Amino acid sequence: MLRIPIDPRENWRDLADDYGFEFHTMHGEAYWDESAYYQFSLDQIEKDLEQPTEEIHQMCLEVVDQVVRDEYWLKKFCIPQAYWQWILDSWQSGDPSLYSRLDFSYDGKSPAKLYENNADTPTSLYETGFWQWLWLIDGVDQGRLSRRSDQFNSLQEKLVNRFKDLAFLTPNRVLHFACCKDTPEDRGTVTYLEDCAKEAGIEVKFVFVEDIGRDAAGRLSDDDNHVISWMFKLYPWEFMFEEQFGELLPQQNMRWLEPPWKSIISNKALLPKLWSMFPNHPNLLPAFFESELKHLSSDLAWVKKPIFSREGANIQISGQGQELASSDGPYGEEGFIYQAFHRLPKFANNHTLVGSWLVDDKAAGISIREDTNIITQDMSRYLPHIIL
Amino acid sequence: MKRSQNIDLGRMRKPSKAKFILRPAVLAVSAVMLAACSEPEDDAIVIYSVDDCSKQTSLDQQECETVYQNAQAEAERTGPKYNSQADCEAEFGPAQCRSNSSGMFSPLMAGFLMGRMMDIGRPSAVYQYNNPSSRYHNQIMTADGRNLGAAGQRSYKVPQSTYKAKPTVTKTVSRGGFGSSASAKSSWGSSKSSKSSGWGG
Repeated sequence: MLRIPIDPRENWRDLADDYGFEFHTMHGEAYWDESAYYQFSLDQIEKDLEQPTEEIHQMCLEVVDQVVRDEYWLKKFCIPQAYWQWILDSWQSGDPSLYSRLDFSYDGKSPAKLYENNADTPTSLYETGFWQWLWLIDGVDQGRLSRRSDQFNSLQEKLVNRFKDLAFLTPNRVLHFACCKDTPEDRGTVTYLEDCAKEAGIEVKFVFVEDIGRDAAGRLSDDDNHVISWMFKLYPWEFMFEEQFGELLPQQNMRWLEPPWKSIISNKALLPKLWSMFPNHPNLLPAFFESELKHLSSDLAWVKKPIFSREGANIQISGQGQELASSDGPYGEEGFIYQAFHRLPKFANNHTLVGSWLVDDKAAGISIREDTNIITQDMSRYLPHIIL
Repeated sequence: MKRSQNIDLGRMRKPSKAKFILRPAVLAVSAVMLAACSEPEDDAIVIYSVDDCSKQTSLDQQECETVYQNAQAEAERTGPKYNSQADCEAEFGPAQCRSNSSGMFSPLMAGFLMGRMMDIGRPSAVYQYNNPSSRYHNQIMTADGRNLGAAGQRSYKVPQSTYKAKPTVTKTVSRGGFGSSASAKSSWGSSKSSKSSGWGG
């Protein structure tokens, strides 16, 4: 695993315009960064990332299978009681999932360590499935990258194929896509998924989360007053559970992407639960609930994470009674978990995080994020990679 | 190879509107419109009753009953809807409309289409304008509002899209029941940090 500087393509901003990639620069800072790339060996990809990604996904499914049936665990995971039966039903009827992203700390030598599972609303999808793919093709075509270069990235192909499966499993329904207003990054991600679904022959419509309506019978409706029967929402389940229309969810004759049971593994309580079910697994970090703090060795540094949190918000790192780093954020009312601190590897003064994608249960590619800060957040830069 | 083999770059392009207007594409655009007009058509007959179905098709009595019931369920779900009985009857004739569960009025189904390309599980209902004062008097229309022509013809040319799954139309009583957590959390974002991108992760 190497970080190799390279000249950016001269016309990449024009290309971004052509392809509608609008959020490459956010709040005046670069988000897409092609001034360097990461190079992996095929062994590193297959043994250290691809295989553990699929294995951890299976372990997560075992967690779901225990938690959805057990009041004790549902409470530990902060799932409101009104949704317990509905989540159990979604699990038992095998509601299909679309995608997830596991975040790893990986340095190219030691086993990748799982930071968290973005199983409900993962983003940076377009950059991964398409934009870094195009960067590789251009680099090879222009002779700037070896002709033998490959990339761990079958994401777009797998998404389209998965949508074909979903179309077969969910016939005769229009798929509504939803995200919040004023979030160009989320709108971009959703547009990309709409394109993949259309390519799979699915009829799609878009509605903003804030514009979703209800009728007298409690059915959800779109801007044209059409009843919604199948929906992809780039909006966290735990938010929806607390909101006004949340109480309507269990009575809908609807299919959801991600399905309701994904609320169990997009939850940080997953981490201590995984550790208790698979202790000392090489790809897991020790993790504990607040009720198990006696297990926290004072010699080690610990990361305190809210049970519900996104994009590295409200994280606190401390060791030997001292705070080492922290991030602000709006989360944490629901409680916290503790995970052993495992420093991100540094490449040329950057902290590097590897996101490993799953489409259903198949590993589908990686994305690299870099940050000068030790806690990577939503503005961490995105860098492409190759396999050589 | 560990990457997608082929991505259709043409499909991935999203030309901005400004560029599209500047492009001299008049000929190309009209070609697209012509293509849209020559959508594949099906020759369909209108079935008015279960008996009519068993006489005119190869389906037996029981199959015809099932198809007829499916058509009525589709009609209930997808048919044209009016806010008042008077508005509905103005088009479809006296006593030709009834109210549905959401308090709106729909015309009674006149029959359903039967064609080679249709899905028997989802027959398309048709309606007949029966009010002599309606300018469409005696015409046959589909649930999505397409006028097929005068009633009583042997067969009708039906664009294939008529058979597509149709949305259930309802009356929305309120909106805004989702999204409040996002606005609460993003107001946090704007006050304490310059970062306020999406709600993904």
